[in-house]
Amino acid sequence: QTVDTSDWVCEFCPFRTGHQADFEVGVGSVSDDSAYFDNASGLGEEGVIGIVDGSGGFSSDGQQVEWTLEDLGLDARFAELSGGRQGSYGYLLSYREIPQRKFITTDTIFERSGPGELSLPAGWVRAGSTGGFSALASSLRPRDIESDRSILGIGGRYSARSPFSAFANYRRQQHEGTTILGGASFSTSSLLPVSFDYTTDEVDLGVRYAMQNGFLSLAYYLSDFGSAGNAFSWENPFASIAGAESGQLAQPPDNRFQQLRFAGGFGSRATGSHLSFTAAAGRIDQDALLLPYTTNGSLDTALPRSALNGEVDTTNFAATFTTRAIDNARVKVSYRFDERDNKTPREVWSRVITDSFVSGDSEQNTPYSFQRLTLSMSADYDLLDALRLSGGWGRRTVDREFQEVANQTEDTGWGRIRWRFRQVLDIEARGGIAKRDIDRYSERVAVQMQQNPLLRKYNLAYRYREFAEIDIHASVPNRPVSLTINGFYADDSYSESQLGMVSGDDLRFTADLNWAISDRTSVYLSTGIEEISSEQLGSESFSTADWRANNDDDFLTYGAGLRFLDIGDSIDLHLDYTRSEGTSRIDMVTASGGPSRFPDLETTLDYLYARLAYRRSERLELAATLRYQRFAMDDWSLDDVGPATVPQVLTPGAEAYDDKVLVFGLSFIYRVGNAAGSNRN
Amino acid sequence: ASDNAGSQTPDGDYSRKGADTCLACHEDAVTLAIFQTKHAVPGDARSPFGHGQLQCEACHGPGDEHSGRVRRGEDRPPIISFSDLYATDTSVENAMCLECHDDAIGLGWHAGMHSNDEVACADCHNSHAARDAVLQTATQAQVCYDCHQRQRTESLKAFNHPMLQGKMDCSSCHAVHDENVGTELVRQTVNDTCLQCHAEKRGPYLWEHAPVSEDCGLCHAPHGSNHPGMLTRRGPLLCQSCHSQSGHPSIPQDANGLPSGVPSQFLLGQNCMNCHSQSHGSNHPSGSKLMR
Repeated sequence: QTVDTSDWVCEFCPFRTGHQADFEVGVGSVSDDSAYFDNASGLGEEGVIGIVDGSGGFSSDGQQVEWTLEDLGLDARFAELSGGRQGSYGYLLSYREIPQRKFITTDTIFERSGPGELSLPAGWVRAGSTGGFSALASSLRPRDIESDRSILGIGGRYSARSPFSAFANYRRQQHEGTTILGGASFSTSSLLPVSFDYTTDEVDLGVRYAMQNGFLSLAYYLSDFGSAGNAFSWENPFASIAGAESGQLAQPPDNRFQQLRFAGGFGSRATGSHLSFTAAAGRIDQDALLLPYTTNGSLDTALPRSALNGEVDTTNFAATFTTRAIDNARVKVSYRFDERDNKTPREVWSRVITDSFVSGDSEQNTPYSFQRLTLSMSADYDLLDALRLSGGWGRRTVDREFQEVANQTEDTGWGRIRWRFRQVLDIEARGGIAKRDIDRYSERVAVQMQQNPLLRKYNLAYRYREFAEIDIHASVPNRPVSLTINGFYADDSYSESQLGMVSGDDLRFTADLNWAISDRTSVYLSTGIEEISSEQLGSESFSTADWRANNDDDFLTYGAGLRFLDIGDSIDLHLDYTRSEGTSRIDMVTASGGPSRFPDLETTLDYLYARLAYRRSERLELAATLRYQRFAMDDWSLDDVGPATVPQVLTPGAEAYDDKVLVFGLSFIYRVGNAAGSNRN
Repeated sequence: ASDNAGSQTPDGDYSRKGADTCLACHEDAVTLAIFQTKHAVPGDARSPFGHGQLQCEACHGPGDEHSGRVRRGEDRPPIISFSDLYATDTSVENAMCLECHDDAIGLGWHAGMHSNDEVACADCHNSHAARDAVLQTATQAQVCYDCHQRQRTESLKAFNHPMLQGKMDCSSCHAVHDENVGTELVRQTVNDTCLQCHAEKRGPYLWEHAPVSEDCGLCHAPHGSNHPGMLTRRGPLLCQSCHSQSGHPSIPQDANGLPSGVPSQFLLGQNCMNCHSQSHGSNHPSGSKLMR
């Protein structure tokens, strides 16, 4: 259809031109220190905070610049600048910092004596167990377990009026801080505050060629990881045999992943058919120099090689074909192949056990490889205008090396019915079964790994799964009220496993109610329930099952919120409240101890957010913001576990979270430039 | 003059004055916000408001009948609407978007789950918003959670990626237009995706931990967990699902190992990882037991 648009002058169109910006500046206060709430948000350090946010841009007939500032006054800050000429080229520059906070309740005796080195404090008295650490109390010093991640991104794209377009993106992530790692000696261990400094550089480059009914693209990806050190050593606070007074851990090795990807897609509108495909070939390599077997000079021997020269080739093929060529039907066929081919050389190694003894065993490294193939088919058929029937089948096979199961095949069949009653009700029910079979569980391989031959690892074992899901979406006709409900159930049975995971159930339910009472007022209610349970069997006699553990994780969340906009034409109110409660129960029955139940692992999170904004003029707004956050946790792995509670392990004494933070802020928002408004007078 | 080539464009006559006709009635702030967006850039010939383009009717379809006179009591003839309130069939809505965006995202889109489930582009995107919430990291997850309620529930668990704080978005991991065909992930596999940010776990290590090499999801719940480290279950039971060697790996650790009983090094602190701390693999020649 040819349309004469010569009179379409768009004189009432308030196009964006010139500068525009919103700045929000203010101050706030944080009531308490909290690692949990400082994590990722920067809102967990008691004191005054600055509120600095903004966004804006410049536009002039296709030339655009956009910028965003978020939380500049906090440790979790973000800035982004993007721009270009629309339809021609574009660029992006971004920077984000994310604080990662774990514990501010931890202590350590260790002192940093150099990069990647921890030493004992002066006057330390070694002992065979933590109970004998006479200098412990006087040696403990606070050491927070935290890190900071910063992400710098630079990107550009070019899409001139030709079939070709191109993009180039670079991202650098730096992650630096302290984590806890166990440093084991022969029968004891120290949880160490280990410093790390990681840098990952990523590059994405690509070109794309567009055709009448399709495209082809070629892309390159590089991920280059580097660690500031390749080792971490510490002085052993426990009494040890001669020569094992210190230990050394390997830091993650520098590595590099490169991948070339070719992709394309073709479609036919006439038949409603589309074919998409991708093919990728990649390589991971790492040639970091290996550490010696031990720092114990009397036990060290020559390594079979000085660097691993690890190398993994990856291959991925995928294709999907969809068609609506048959009336009232849609058919989809998908194929996917993923391979990890670990070509790392195998050698025989002579392990030194925790710098104390030569193991005497010759051990070969096992470079794991796998091939994974997925084939699926599905069809949807509109039996009536409002009734759709669907069904599908899928097969997934996995071939592995050096593992107990060489070949695993999982077949999944499912059916679905969807009924839509006008715009009022949309119900979709889906159910199916999946049967995961294996060629055989090699007890020979299991025994080589010194495993109980009756154990079946849950990712390798035979599994039969039944699942069902229902979605209901109901609306009031021509009213902005909607109710959405989802229910999901899955039942896993590992009926051929005598040891290991034997069953698992997963039951989930969610519901949302949304009501836009008017253009200016809306409310919502939401809830979610999860019950995840599993049962596993073990054998302390190294024969048939003689102990059982049942895990039950229950989780409940509910929330509500409302928005009142333009109250008296000048006030906006925004309220959100969410509460979530988690309970994990572990019941055990053992041959040696009988039935026992762990104290419940409990978490409770409350989150209240309120913002009141007063619009003094078109350009000036004043805002008051309040956040109340509380997180409480009962965790038997941390509760009452001080540095010397466990005789064989020196712990940092981390406490389970019981954090409460009130954040209050006052700010003003000032708008610069033109806002969107009618050009009609 | 513009050649409106879309074969799926609804029939009907276009208005006489384009957007000026529409704005005679639709002069509310929500509608006018379109002029703050990339859809309304006269300098871009491919934009709906580019020179010679169909302006509002590029997306909403021919509007002559809709904008004409209506007798009292009669309903105004409908136009293509992207609102939940005024229903237009999803396939018609999406066809309007794909008229222009088919090349960029459409061919992956047709292969993906969202297309299969008849999700409308406008279910996620608000093309009239100056800043589309689904394209902003701070707000994207809330848009996705409108449908992905289970993931929203999981996001409220105690240990999580920083979604709730708005510092990470779903599209950090998920390619919702399914560019990689059949994975809905931004990289080819789950592990390739996780390793974008956790590259220190890539190895290849001298001593690998088999599940780590294959699928991070075998031990971790990426949408949230009530167990530290976003693990699917607590140690040591998680580890004992697969490790049954004679000696301490096969010995059950029950509540007698808590501080009120005989504190157990296999249970408290970091349980198995008190000693086997290199659970993602070790590059140490003596690290076969992941203790170095």
